[in-house]
Amino acid sequence: MNKIGIRFFTEKSLTRHDVLGAYAVIVLLVYSWTLITSFYKFPSWMFYLTLGQIGAIYAYAFSINFIESIVTLAGVSFLEFTLFLFLKNKEEILPRSILAALILLGTAMWRLVLFQDYVDSAAFVSGELKWWLLTFAVGAPAVIFAAKIKWIKKILEGLADRALVFLYIYLPLTALAIVVVIIRNIN
Amino acid sequence: MTQLSRRDFLKAAGVVLAGAALTPSRAFSVRDTRNNQRPNIIVVLCDALSAPHLSLYGYPRLTTPNIDSFAARSTVFHNHYSGSNFTSSGTASLLTGMLPWKHRAINYGGLIKSEFIGINPYTLLGSDYYRFAFSQNPWADQLIGQWNKDVDRFLPPSSYSLLESADPVRLFENDRVMASIALGGFLFQAEGEDGPVGSSEIGYLNKSRTLKFIGKQNLKRYPDGIPEVVLASNPYLNEEIYFGAFSELSRLDSENAPYFAYFHLFSPHFPYKPRSDFKKLFHDDYAPAAKPNHPMANGFSEDYLLSRQTAYDRQIAQVDDEFGRLIAKLDKDGILENSYLIFTSDHGELFERGFVGHGRQFMYEGALRVPLLIHAPSQTRREDIFAPTSNTDILPTLLSIAGKYIPADIDGKLLPAFGGSAEPNRAVLSILAMDNSAFAPLKKAVVAMRKGDYKLIAYLGYADMAQPFELYNLEGDPNEFDNLAAKEKNILSAMKGEFLSYLEEANKPFERK
Repeated sequence: MNKIGIRFFTEKSLTRHDVLGAYAVIVLLVYSWTLITSFYKFPSWMFYLTLGQIGAIYAYAFSINFIESIVTLAGVSFLEFTLFLFLKNKEEILPRSILAALILLGTAMWRLVLFQDYVDSAAFVSGELKWWLLTFAVGAPAVIFAAKIKWIKKILEGLADRALVFLYIYLPLTALAIVVVIIRNIN
Repeated sequence: MTQLSRRDFLKAAGVVLAGAALTPSRAFSVRDTRNNQRPNIIVVLCDALSAPHLSLYGYPRLTTPNIDSFAARSTVFHNHYSGSNFTSSGTASLLTGMLPWKHRAINYGGLIKSEFIGINPYTLLGSDYYRFAFSQNPWADQLIGQWNKDVDRFLPPSSYSLLESADPVRLFENDRVMASIALGGFLFQAEGEDGPVGSSEIGYLNKSRTLKFIGKQNLKRYPDGIPEVVLASNPYLNEEIYFGAFSELSRLDSENAPYFAYFHLFSPHFPYKPRSDFKKLFHDDYAPAAKPNHPMANGFSEDYLLSRQTAYDRQIAQVDDEFGRLIAKLDKDGILENSYLIFTSDHGELFERGFVGHGRQFMYEGALRVPLLIHAPSQTRREDIFAPTSNTDILPTLLSIAGKYIPADIDGKLLPAFGGSAEPNRAVLSILAMDNSAFAPLKKAVVAMRKGDYKLIAYLGYADMAQPFELYNLEGDPNEFDNLAAKEKNILSAMKGEFLSYLEEANKPFERK
């Protein structure tokens, strides 16, 4: 096993608490945003669609949200094992991961909102690389240093603890949603 | 208030999820026992095709030579109005025969009120017909999706487009109607003004990938880039779309007659990106007379308006070329011998008063008057109808052609020359109510009412409008320059009274008891 591999398993081994805490915050953000946007649509769905059809929309939404949350967790973990590899303080892993997730998802959501009003969408998309490089340049040092500040660390850990509750709500619903999507797509 | 226990909540959630799983998800099915005596009915709808821009209707630029020659053996309607000025409302009026204040698909991406779900060509034509649908426009696709169980072949909007195989909805082919609503209409929604953007990052990445794909194509044939269905991330080439339409019709004709086929084709809808051979057209000195800016318009300059209008005219010329090729092929294969072909649009497009486009509070002729040509089987002579007609008349007419029952809820009438009679003084209404809730009485809307030579435009609930009523005499002033509201007070009062009585009637089902 090479040196990086050894460090991966020794210095960087994540605890179950770290992973669940970071994932809970990601799930809270991704699913809640979908739920909030669905509230704009819900009255008209009630008017036009049956309850079963509305349920099907949520089934697709939760299934896609699940994929997105896993991809985001993978992205945060990737950062932890590459860019933040030199940071050895294990107690900072959780707040750092949460901060990285908040910046990643927050920036992406902000970009989505901006995109809606952008007239020249092709030009907007072509500036994507610059946008993410800037986010990275500003976000990475912010994540590293903010995770060292005690009160921020405390808030983030508190957030992770409370967000865990949502995992117990969203994940069983997601399991059901995936079953629903599969049943609807069986030939 | 009754408390909901955890057990009750779980029970209710179970019922909803079971309902979601068991709601019919059929998208494709095939039947072959058909009655061969009935004529086929083909509807070709070009999105956002404004009648005043067609040389067929006297436009000074020769935009539609092929449509003009097709008109020589069709019935041509000269004063045909859409029920609204954007896709959801206008298409819903065409397909339900009802005005927007009844069918209630009045917001962007709106759907038909569940009470009227059964009123549409697919359900009413029934299994005597093989029923086909293809809409490039996702809003029209979602409307037809409400009648999915009655559609025998229902192509996804990405069909025949350049990214057809990469459309995420195709992952859910057996449930593609609900997947389209969930993904395209909600999660992946990248544009639209009826709420926030879609929440999905995957949706954004999909849109971003499409735009990058378009940017990289750099086809010499398309110097302005490749046209795209803006709401659905589907880049397409008109030549391939029309080839697809012909392929589908050939197959229907050989395997499934009698059939009803509805093609909702996106071009010439914005963005206007004509092929290079059409970009050469209209380098002329045409300059329409300027009209005063509308209080709710963007305030675009006359030069900008003309440049957009010219691009639009070129896009129409390309559509005309493809349509001409399609008709030639259909003629060659004898497909029109036992088929009615209806050529129309869902709404028009406007380049005046500081505004470009459609779907806003501008109910002028360019936005509402759409072409309507009907070619009957083996028709060889042209017939012209000048009496005002509405696109709500199309459903009852095609039901009559097919020998089917016409429900009383339909607002439209049989078209003149197809069982109906010309009524020059009939009131024809068009309604834009995108700012109004779909389940409330109409309080914020713009309504146009054509009656005889006159047209009334009423702005309900718009504080920006110092003059809530406009009146034009279209016979003497077809370009709507001269607002007669202050001069012709008697006519204004009579038309206003008639319009308000219709409105009161339409609002009754939504008033709180």
